[in-house]
Amino acid sequence: MVGAAAAGETANNDAAAAALINTKCGGCHEPGPDGGLARISAVRKSPEGWNLTLRRMQQWHHVVLSDAEQAALVKHFADTQGLAPEETAPFRAVLERRPGNVEHADDPEVATYCARCHSYARVGLQRRNAAEWLKLVHTHVGQFPTLEYQASSRDREWWHIATTELPDRLGRKWPLVTASWTAWQGHASPDLAGSWRVVGHRPGKGDYNGTLVVDRTDVDRYTVHHRLVMADGSALDGDGDSIVYTGYEWRGAATLGGLPVREVFEVSADGSQLRGRWFASDAVTGGDLTAVRGGPAILAVQPPYLKTGQTARLTIVGSGLSGEVDLGPGVQVQTIEQTSAESVTVLAVAGATAATGGHDVAVGAARLAGGLVVYDKVGSVRVEPGYDVARVGDNGGPIALVPAQFEAVAYLNGPEGKQGEVRIGVLPASWSIAGYDADSKQAEDAKFGGQIDQNGLFTPGGAGPNPARGGANNAANLSVTAVVTDGAVPLQGSAHLIVTLQRWNDAPVR
Amino acid sequence: MKHLKPVNEKAQAIERAAGQGRAEEVRPMQSVVGCASTFDPGWEVDPFGGVAALCQPMEADLYGCSDPCWWPAQVPDTINTYPDWSAGAPSAQRDWRKLNAVFPKK
Repeated sequence: MVGAAAAGETANNDAAAAALINTKCGGCHEPGPDGGLARISAVRKSPEGWNLTLRRMQQWHHVVLSDAEQAALVKHFADTQGLAPEETAPFRAVLERRPGNVEHADDPEVATYCARCHSYARVGLQRRNAAEWLKLVHTHVGQFPTLEYQASSRDREWWHIATTELPDRLGRKWPLVTASWTAWQGHASPDLAGSWRVVGHRPGKGDYNGTLVVDRTDVDRYTVHHRLVMADGSALDGDGDSIVYTGYEWRGAATLGGLPVREVFEVSADGSQLRGRWFASDAVTGGDLTAVRGGPAILAVQPPYLKTGQTARLTIVGSGLSGEVDLGPGVQVQTIEQTSAESVTVLAVAGATAATGGHDVAVGAARLAGGLVVYDKVGSVRVEPGYDVARVGDNGGPIALVPAQFEAVAYLNGPEGKQGEVRIGVLPASWSIAGYDADSKQAEDAKFGGQIDQNGLFTPGGAGPNPARGGANNAANLSVTAVVTDGAVPLQGSAHLIVTLQRWNDAPVR
Repeated sequence: MKHLKPVNEKAQAIERAAGQGRAEEVRPMQSVVGCASTFDPGWEVDPFGGVAALCQPMEADLYGCSDPCWWPAQVPDTINTYPDWSAGAPSAQRDWRKLNAVFPKK
């Protein structure tokens, strides 16, 4: 019954979208001999990509769309001409607006032509044949004519290459028809209603866990009640709505702990897991999230580490938990403080015989490989992310500053003292900034660029010319250092931070 | 600076800074500073991975980025897509607080 009702609703939505496309797009985009509409039928994109396309049609060609019409069209196009999960897999970090993400282009030629202005992901999240990629080149030259005179254009036969070799290259690399998309079109969008067990981490704040209660309101549409608790016991509750595109792209809007956030999650093919990131308007404040339905399963141990010889309180978070707790050889459970199907809290101690490194954790039949790391001493400290960008803002202007959040992550030395083998976890640190090089020291970048607090949160300086700096901006090139005390010897890690200018063109996929 | 006479505010500021030891009298440039259609100082990060060679302040040259649409993926291009972006803000250095993002946060 539910299946038949869902099929009927889908058919109604498809008919409404077809009518809308005919009315709003059909005046310019004529049907071809195959029944497809010129250009429209020749591309596939992410929901964000379709949103940008519709936005451009309004800006450049004065198409009039209400918010509801735009939303209906994005849903239709993302569902019928979207991307398969494996096509988006290399670019999740960009969709999730993950801070400190440094792209590694697997095709330097495509990166030279496209990714010196855009992210590589912006291109990689589209599929077209060569002839349609060529039209995109023409669009760029028509709209942004100085493109041809810029660095990495004027030093080569840009027009020739951009209109011959490049479209062919893109058409081979990211073609319209792919086996993964053809297969994915047979995938039914799962009903995600139910109670989900959640774990996550908020950089600068710590781990959290809780539940999402998801109610279905329409095809691929849900209301969501978040019941989350931070490691320090504070609540992170709130409600929101979500839409699922293409059978797996969860896009939510919620208020968490009073903060408006957006959610970009990927739904697993079997509908049993959500994984992604939620973030506030600065795209920095936010957290990772993993959620599962059913069980038995262990999602995480919080905190995920235990020092040899110390007794610590650990919470095993999962779903359908029942049975004996096992933290691996040499780790004793001293007291079980609390137990339920969703979590088990224990006082545990790692004895002298406990091996350092990852320990498998089990509660009855549920098991998490390497869920607990036992360490005797911290081998090295890395500041994560290792490279990040903050942006000046505020100071009476309309664009908010963009902070940067760092964490000191401890690693266990591997055999023969090799560093960075096993991740222990986030540890408290003492934080400082300094000029990154001689130029930035002379220009007093550390004085003007901003400040870092003892949670690793860097707040950049104000926007605009700064009279106290001779009228220059508060841009800065900084080194961020964390010192972790573990035993007698302080351990240090550092990251590179660029404090740069406001971003006026802040598209959802840059 | 005995061979050069500052004739505008910026040159005078440089002379003052040099006199106070906050800037060198002669500085070898690591790139051409300032944005024109044949030079590329970089928009958010300079060609050397830092910020020392960015236009300073960037407001001095911002409309060089938006009007000839030099960095349309970062700064709204006023040629085609956002013709009114800088309306009512004739001087970016004075009026930068009137310049908003074209993707308002929701």
